[in-house]
Amino acid sequence: MISVVATNIISPLGFTTEENYQAVLAGRSALKRYAGLWGLPEPFAASLFNEEQKATLALEGYTFFEALAIRSIRTALTYTSLGNDFSRIVLILSTTKGNIESLGEERYYPSEAAQRIAEAIGLTTKPIVVCNACVSGLSAQLLANRLLSANVYDYAIVVGAEVQSKFIVSGFQSLKAVSEEPCRPFDIERNGLNPGEAAATIVFARNADGERWCLMNGATCNDAYHNVSPSPQGEGLTNAINAVMKGRDKSLLATVCAHGTATLYNDQMESVAIHRAGLTDVPLSALKGNFGHTMGAAGVLETILTMIATQDGLVLPSKGFAELGVSKEVNISSEPQKTNKRSFLKLMSGFGGCNVAAFYVRTTDKKQETTSHITLAKANTIRLSSEDGTSLTDIYKQEIGNYPKFYKMDILSRLAFVITELLRKGPHTTDNGQQMPIILFNHSSSVVADRQFLDTIKDAENFFPSPSVFVYTLPNITTGEVAIRHHLCGETSFYILPDKDEALMKQILEASLAGTSATSVISGWIDAESETSYECELSVYNII
Amino acid sequence: MEQLINDLKLQIKEALNLEELSLEEFDENAPLFGEEGIGLDSIDVLEIIVLLEKNYGIRLANPKDGRAIFQSVKTIAEYVQANRKK
Repeated sequence: MISVVATNIISPLGFTTEENYQAVLAGRSALKRYAGLWGLPEPFAASLFNEEQKATLALEGYTFFEALAIRSIRTALTYTSLGNDFSRIVLILSTTKGNIESLGEERYYPSEAAQRIAEAIGLTTKPIVVCNACVSGLSAQLLANRLLSANVYDYAIVVGAEVQSKFIVSGFQSLKAVSEEPCRPFDIERNGLNPGEAAATIVFARNADGERWCLMNGATCNDAYHNVSPSPQGEGLTNAINAVMKGRDKSLLATVCAHGTATLYNDQMESVAIHRAGLTDVPLSALKGNFGHTMGAAGVLETILTMIATQDGLVLPSKGFAELGVSKEVNISSEPQKTNKRSFLKLMSGFGGCNVAAFYVRTTDKKQETTSHITLAKANTIRLSSEDGTSLTDIYKQEIGNYPKFYKMDILSRLAFVITELLRKGPHTTDNGQQMPIILFNHSSSVVADRQFLDTIKDAENFFPSPSVFVYTLPNITTGEVAIRHHLCGETSFYILPDKDEALMKQILEASLAGTSATSVISGWIDAESETSYECELSVYNII
Repeated sequence: MEQLINDLKLQIKEALNLEELSLEEFDENAPLFGEEGIGLDSIDVLEIIVLLEKNYGIRLANPKDGRAIFQSVKTIAEYVQANRKK
């Protein structure tokens, strides 16, 4: 059994899990309206660390983002030991934009930041960065549990961290997704999200003693609908909830901790999915009225608080909620409610069309999970590199065509689109093709799109952040483009590694697919340093 | 008006990377959304909002106000003519 042995949350509301939990119970929020911050012409509300907190948290030689993550991990590690075998401990970093303010420098690269964080806490293994947009915090926990189940490591330190910036806020503003008032999840008056800063850590271990929280199972399902707008029928989220709750008694759920960003579309979609999955009566909680949307940290932070509250016999209050403003009834309250149940469901949905549901239970059960071993048989591989001298547009015109969206895509999505198109024409099995997962790896994140977006905001006189470019500043959008094109509704994941480490990629892929019902998978390396410098090698594997 | 319509077609084609749509077949009366017309989506609308601000000084804070304006290139042109600041 893999279980939670330590946690920490550092947010503007407190620097420990307990302080943050008490703040939520007391109805506190760090959300404030900012006008003119970072030279942004439009005001916004956000949950940001103040100058005094920043000075306290800063660490010499590290960016504030790195310092936050290191502080959070160090605090969590005061509650547990990790044994002596450092080759059996892995760091999994969940973030959407990491050190984005360092764009143009080496430390921009998320895996560089992860390596500095790992070294600071004394780890020697290669860290893995999960970059699955807003669902990253749950994806990272799923990955941790998979790697421990597969006996690759004994301990996994999952840290979710996000620091806000002109880059992120202007991007979400260009999508008209940011509110200048404190956000109101599921409320009739809700009009957008608030960016938030935080770091949160969960340490998972194999074979820990005593009563503990366990992530029993989780599912990731793509909408295969749109990269930004969620499926109006909540298709992917419904599928994810149903996959996780299959055979489980929903009356044992203390709560469903929703994503609840307070955008019109997200909360509406979640209400539909919750209704379709038959969970309307289960108490719902949404925590972004306290912390804002802490992006890469959100899935970790909100899971920790729900664990602590459930253990304490409470369902957390949903600050900002007053009057139901979604089409399907949900059981939400702005006051804490009592519960005597010991399990809960956590939901997240994000750009790239991905949705994750995860089921947690507090248990003393020490039964070892038996991981079914799988073998991957490569059916077909296609490699494209900038050194080939072929143009992606020419391949598109000659071999594919009739998909005008191709011209809107960034270089990563074009590469993934062209290669998967060619792969799907080649030999491989597609007997349950709709469930085929897409699991991609790279080093350079979305650096090309990041530079393009920065160009649209760096000049105050010519400040026009581009919404269509901003969308591609999340590398997992590539998986969304492929899912939409081929109607693939299974898992989509994007991982960033220090280098193209084929052994590590294979370990992650095999651990991810153990127990899957899918019979084939698209996976591989997809890296672009510029429009004219890229390397992409994707394969279709049959799962045996 | 005709000049403005042609300018808008060119600007929209460029901003939205409508590579496969020639200016000749870009009908100013065709609906911009849905299978019948040009087939734009919600992100394209946001990009047109940026374009209107950049080129004509028009600020449209709430994309919902845009539903009537963004029916076709013709309706956009009429709105621009009435509201342009540059």
